[in-house]
Amino acid sequence: MQTQQWLKKPWVWWLLLLLALLVSLSVGSVTVIFGQLFNSDSISYSIVWQLRLPRAFNAMLVGGCLALAGLLIQNLVKNPLADPYLLGVSGGAASCQLLVIMLGLSLSAEALFLIGFAGSLLATLLVLKLSYHGRIKPNKVTLNGVVMAFGFAAIISFMLSLADGQQIRSMMFWLMGDLSFAQPSWLMVVLLALCYALLRRQHSALDLLARGELFARKSGVHAERLNLMVFIMTALLTSMAVAQAGTIGFVGLIIPHIVRLLVGYQHRHLLSVTILAGALFLLIADTLARTVLSPIQLPVGIFTALVGVPVFLVLSRKI
Amino acid sequence: MLLADQLSVSLDNRPVLTRLSCQFQMGEFWGIVGQNGAGKSTLLQCMAGLLDPSTGQVWVDDENMHQLDPLSRAQKVAYLMQEQEPSLAFTVQQAVEMGRYPWPDNPENRQKITRQTLQDCRILNLQDRSILQLSGGERRKVEIATCLAQNSDYLLLDEPFNHLDVVYQRFLVKKLQSLSREKAVVMVCHDIDVVTKYCSHVLMLLGDDCYLSGDSATMLNEANLEELFNESH
Repeated sequence: MQTQQWLKKPWVWWLLLLLALLVSLSVGSVTVIFGQLFNSDSISYSIVWQLRLPRAFNAMLVGGCLALAGLLIQNLVKNPLADPYLLGVSGGAASCQLLVIMLGLSLSAEALFLIGFAGSLLATLLVLKLSYHGRIKPNKVTLNGVVMAFGFAAIISFMLSLADGQQIRSMMFWLMGDLSFAQPSWLMVVLLALCYALLRRQHSALDLLARGELFARKSGVHAERLNLMVFIMTALLTSMAVAQAGTIGFVGLIIPHIVRLLVGYQHRHLLSVTILAGALFLLIADTLARTVLSPIQLPVGIFTALVGVPVFLVLSRKI
Repeated sequence: MLLADQLSVSLDNRPVLTRLSCQFQMGEFWGIVGQNGAGKSTLLQCMAGLLDPSTGQVWVDDENMHQLDPLSRAQKVAYLMQEQEPSLAFTVQQAVEMGRYPWPDNPENRQKITRQTLQDCRILNLQDRSILQLSGGERRKVEIATCLAQNSDYLLLDEPFNHLDVVYQRFLVKKLQSLSREKAVVMVCHDIDVVTKYCSHVLMLLGDDCYLSGDSATMLNEANLEELFNESH
């Protein structure tokens, strides 16, 4: 399939994102009256500025982080089935946070965020440590990550089978991803911007790494250092996304594939477009999740797959 | 000068090379011959600075290869792998341009050099194809072109003729011969006739820690060849 020149321009994606944001802010269980948007006493004011906008920002940030993490991990382990959760991140975070929910501890959102972040970071470091023999071996990461995921899945199932009805509902929401819960975090903005800036400088080295580690090394890339940097970035980005919104599946797996089909394989274009496309995708999915059966809110994970699968299948026919 | 000093390498605790010394100079065209598993590829990887020897050192222009940073290493030495690793679907033009990574050229210059290399290697017609859709021989040509685009002083090629048709084999060996006037070209090759006819020097890995090196006219004598073809190794 021919790559599209106009899709390589980030401003096209910014424009789409802005459009989606406007639509997302204006739809929902309560109809917004535009005349009252800047009247601080009205319902429209509080719904848009205090509920929908933070949630939309949250969706965009989490989507951008997950898509970037997916792009990086697929490059590192050279496996098209790899997604950010390969590093054991989701299991680690979910286990810790579910434990807190199950014990019935009433913690603040920030505390729950930090617990999830710590859990996922620990799980990731464990996977990386197990895969480290002088240097990190990507194929070991794949195997260890998959095995660890089974371990965590067992722990999670165990907790679910012990939990009572009300707990199960909030746990399930959490396992499938839920954006209504947290406020957008500035830490995440900083992290995403920092990762992007660092990676942007290394875009040709990332291209070389995509052709294999030995190829990168022989061509002059400090591959061990780059590998380590990228693994740490993936771990941080994913941990933060999971701590923020639960394990939203599919974004990190499918968005990098779709973007590669659209703009080609050079990281010069891939990095920015992947982040923006991830943000756009999750914003659309989350808007659907809260409007399709409104006022009932559905887990966003359902819609990432429902929207993502057909889009990917249509595109992949054109390869 | 690219120099190996008393190189010993073990892979998975199995000794592959034992105290091997050799030196490649500008203006020389080396052929490395030896049976499978004799350590030819291991030697090339060591000389390219990609594999650390257990003892001994590699020196390139009086600098220790293993203390150089990867970028200056790649400026000195270009290495052609025996088999390419699995990769994503870059175009031929993008792939060959990757050979310019060690050099800080501006974008136009980089494109110009890439185009020139594609032309010199007779693969300009492939430039927009995906490297995953090429035939084995075409892919080999792209890998060779990537190495040549790197324009390093020392070329280390691991079985460059693999998958190539006879026409291109002859074209390539002549090209390498002419390149060796201003560079040092070292290739692993299983075709003794090619080595005899084109290489100025030969390094024979005969097994049992026996290594012979020298100019090809005197080294490829009957006694040495008999040793090379000895089936008991």
